Amino acid sequence: MTIVPKRLGIKFSLKRQPTLEPEDILPIFQRWIQEHRVEGMLIDVIDYKHVPEGPGIVLIADEADFAYDLADGEIGLHYIRKRDLPGDLSRALQLSFKSALAAARALEAEAPGDIVFDFSAAKISFFDRMRYRNDPAVFENARPALTNLLSDIFGGTVTLARVYDDRRAVFAVSCTVAGENINADALAARLEENRQSV
Amino acid sequence: MTTWKEMLKDDIPAEMGKLIDTYEAQMELRKQGKLDEKVFAEARLRKGVYGQRYDNGQRHDGVRTRDLAYPSGEVVKGPDTLWDAPGMQRIKIPYGGLTAEQLEVLSELADEYSDGILHITTRQDIQLHYVHIDDTPDLMRRLAAVGITTQEACGNSVRNITACTLAGVCHDEVFDVSPYADAMTHFLLNHDDVQDFGRKFKVAFSGCAGHACGLVKMHDLGLLAQTREIDGETVRGFTVYVGGGLGTVPHQAKVLAEFATEEELLPLTQAVARVFARLGEKKNRNRARIKFLVAKLGIDEFRREVEEELKIVPHDARHTAYINALSDFSYKPAKAGMALNGAPLPDGFEDWYRSNVYRQVQPGYSTITLNTPLGDFTAQQGFLLADIARRYVGDNIRFSVEQNVVLRWVADADLPAIYHDLCEIGLGDPNAGTIVDITTCPGTDTCKLGIASSRGLTAELRTRLIEKINLLPDAVRELKIKVSGCFNSCGQHHVADIGFFGNSRRSGNHKMPHFQVVLGGQWRQNAGSYGLAVGAVPARRVPDVLEALTERYVAERGEGEDFQTWVKELGRKEIKAMLQPYMKLPSFEEAPAYFSDWGDSRVYTIDDIGVGECAGEVVSLFSMEISKAESTQFEALLALDDGDYKLADEQAYKAMVQAARALVRTKHLDVGDNYDDIVGEFRSRFYDTELIYDRFAKGKFARYLFKRHEGAPARVNEDYAHQIIDETQLFIENVHTAEQRINGVIVG
Ligand code: HEM
Ligand code: SF4
Repeated sequence: MTIVPKRLGIKFSLKRQPTLEPEDILPIFQRWIQEHRVEGMLIDVIDYKHVPEGPGIVLIADEADFAYDLADGEIGLHYIRKRDLPGDLSRALQLSFKSALAAARALEAEAPGDIVFDFSAAKISFFDRMRYRNDPAVFENARPALTNLLSDIFGGTVTLARVYDDRRAVFAVSCTVAGENINADALAARLEENRQSV
Repeated sequence: MTTWKEMLKDDIPAEMGKLIDTYEAQMELRKQGKLDEKVFAEARLRKGVYGQRYDNGQRHDGVRTRDLAYPSGEVVKGPDTLWDAPGMQRIKIPYGGLTAEQLEVLSELADEYSDGILHITTRQDIQLHYVHIDDTPDLMRRLAAVGITTQEACGNSVRNITACTLAGVCHDEVFDVSPYADAMTHFLLNHDDVQDFGRKFKVAFSGCAGHACGLVKMHDLGLLAQTREIDGETVRGFTVYVGGGLGTVPHQAKVLAEFATEEELLPLTQAVARVFARLGEKKNRNRARIKFLVAKLGIDEFRREVEEELKIVPHDARHTAYINALSDFSYKPAKAGMALNGAPLPDGFEDWYRSNVYRQVQPGYSTITLNTPLGDFTAQQGFLLADIARRYVGDNIRFSVEQNVVLRWVADADLPAIYHDLCEIGLGDPNAGTIVDITTCPGTDTCKLGIASSRGLTAELRTRLIEKINLLPDAVRELKIKVSGCFNSCGQHHVADIGFFGNSRRSGNHKMPHFQVVLGGQWRQNAGSYGLAVGAVPARRVPDVLEALTERYVAERGEGEDFQTWVKELGRKEIKAMLQPYMKLPSFEEAPAYFSDWGDSRVYTIDDIGVGECAGEVVSLFSMEISKAESTQFEALLALDDGDYKLADEQAYKAMVQAARALVRTKHLDVGDNYDDIVGEFRSRFYDTELIYDRFAKGKFARYLFKRHEGAPARVNEDYAHQIIDETQLFIENVHTAEQRINGVIVG
């Protein structure tokens, strides 16, 4: 199954707990709006740090949200593409990965050495319960195509797993590249390359 | 491809489905520029679809105001409200009561259409923020499939009907008001007599006079449970209050009727609604709430109007039918009630038990309050909460006006286990209902009218207070704080011990966010009295002000003296003097931090404030009704495109009847829904009198309606469908022109 979901999320998690607190991200995101630091029509920043394991601090744009996300007990950058997704899943994933990666790297640059992402894994969420109900059958159905597409993006064989068992939860897949230590430059280069080839 | 509409077609009640289809067609007409923007705005608001900050395409980023170039360009969903701009969806939860399944669907919607957060409002509703208008019809369908509506959640209509969260389990109540709130919700929803208000209308029920929960005295219509001995029998009824309300000019409600019986409740409410629709202010929205009408007429004259109106309220079986159904309203606990046994208690349980647990009147059961920070919880928490509910309480979930989740009918023996499970999902915080459990409106985060960051301030105070809650004396622990982002008081700051509302002051060439301090409002006695505004302080000084106030209260209060009394005794002058040191405004150079708001690093500005949609658009009843005819006609066109000619004909006919009804109702409100009655009234009032006549075509367009009303042709083909749709278009135009001629220019 390679239907493009209504919304597509890509989350990169941090390698370790930073010294920076979520509230420190607030002024960073607010400055990003002034400086147009990430792509998109940036609207506002909203503070949900009071909610346990919630979306944390969210930079809201017209086409996507960038969350300094606290869900699943893992801090990370969660890019959620809300609109203008290309009609083809391969391109939709590439576009979202590219934006997520750019935002994560921009965040690393704000606190070098403190905010460090693990780019050899990602959580991919399909916010679309009509086309992607979170059950094992849907996962098995989507797995071959997703494995191909994501291996292509990461440039190595990926292992996929369903993130939540709960049927009501969003259908999300964790993706890990085997054995390799993917660095951000290599990933970015691949996304550029792939982009040209599609 | 499947759509939610198809997928859920068997689950959505037909009437609800139709309302959503009509709204979707109105959206399409608006996009094409065929529906007036104000009329659409009001139609959308009545579906709970609100605008949000920055939807006018302007935002100050701390350096300068920038244009937000939404891709939809010039298309608007209301005056100055751009189509693509994010919006807020308010979802009605009558008396805050919902089932585990409903909670699950709300949670699904939060992460598919919003930002993953469900927000509980001060009127027991749920709000989702950053929702795109294009997603709203599906969102509504998914809600409708589990029995939730957003109909009349905003706009000039009857808003969510609220009631005490303890109704049915409370020690002090006269009787359980929940089934009455439920019955009135159904009765008033979409009722003809509540469609022509100049402003919103809020109803609340309360089970007793002494406690706060129902807040009947601050509502447009408040209903307080009472019983009376009549002919040796105990009869249930309500004291009916009218004309209360917060907002800029708070009013305490007046007693309209000392005792209205169950039989009188709905017709009396209907009569109040009709008087409000007929005599209430329509043009000046600042004076359009019913409180102004009651003040203008005086309660005695208002009562006389209502009594007169009652005589002509048409008979309606529903006025009393609900009474027989009252006994069907019951609660199914998940478990048998059982006392706490002596098992070891989890860490923190005792603190939590002290503040979050209420022993129900039913032995062996408790009601617990989940201290929900700022009224927010995640979709994921929503799912797990639904599990916890199923495990321990069944469908006995409620939202409170203090923006908390409440679970009722917990068997006492389960309290340690449910506490443990709630801690696991981050909802096990103690201190519900204490000074840390602050109520707040959305404020500058998302509200177009916000002046200061009520949520930012609340989050800050909460963090600071939690740190020292265990050191606070009980008298301080128990105080209530409520915060609004501006004087409109959506955060109900008037009825808190300590209230704050946002405003701004100038220092040099810069504006500085401020909060007005409002002291001594009364939460108990159903919001018995409103607080005293004592002065505005810079937002950044509010935590210090709070500390100074509470310390002095503790030091000086007499034995058992409550905060209200202490404030009154101290007097406005003395309090002002106490605040004086905090009111000094430093210059920008001295203290730049004062010039940004809580949770916001931008230099403060209110340049990007918008035009609020609190009031809805004042559009005439006729405009609203004729717009429904137009959207039905549009659906006929869609059916024609689909090749479904029979449906096209039916929709076209329906559109003509709706248009006729729109006109008839400008003269005769009670025409009802029967097609024969509508066409008959239309004929005698507008056709026989020639009022509908077009200058050139005379009665020709009206005769299209009469002809179709006699019956559809045996064979409905494409040509015929085309023709009747064209005729419908002409008839609707004819009705528009005639209405302007007959009734004067339409507002909006
Ligand atoms: C002139 C405009 C407005 C006025 C006078 C106004 C007034 C009020 C008042 C007095 C209340 C609650 C008190 C009660 O329980 O009766 C309320 C509720 C509320 N208001 Fe407003 N409001 C306005 C606009 C807005 C706007 C633009 C927003 C932001 C979207 C907003 C958000 C809320 C919320 C979240 C509640 C609780 C909602 C509910 O569930 O009904 N208000 N409003
Ligand atoms: S009180 Fe003011 S800022 Fe707060 S929601 Fe109401 S209108 Fe908006």
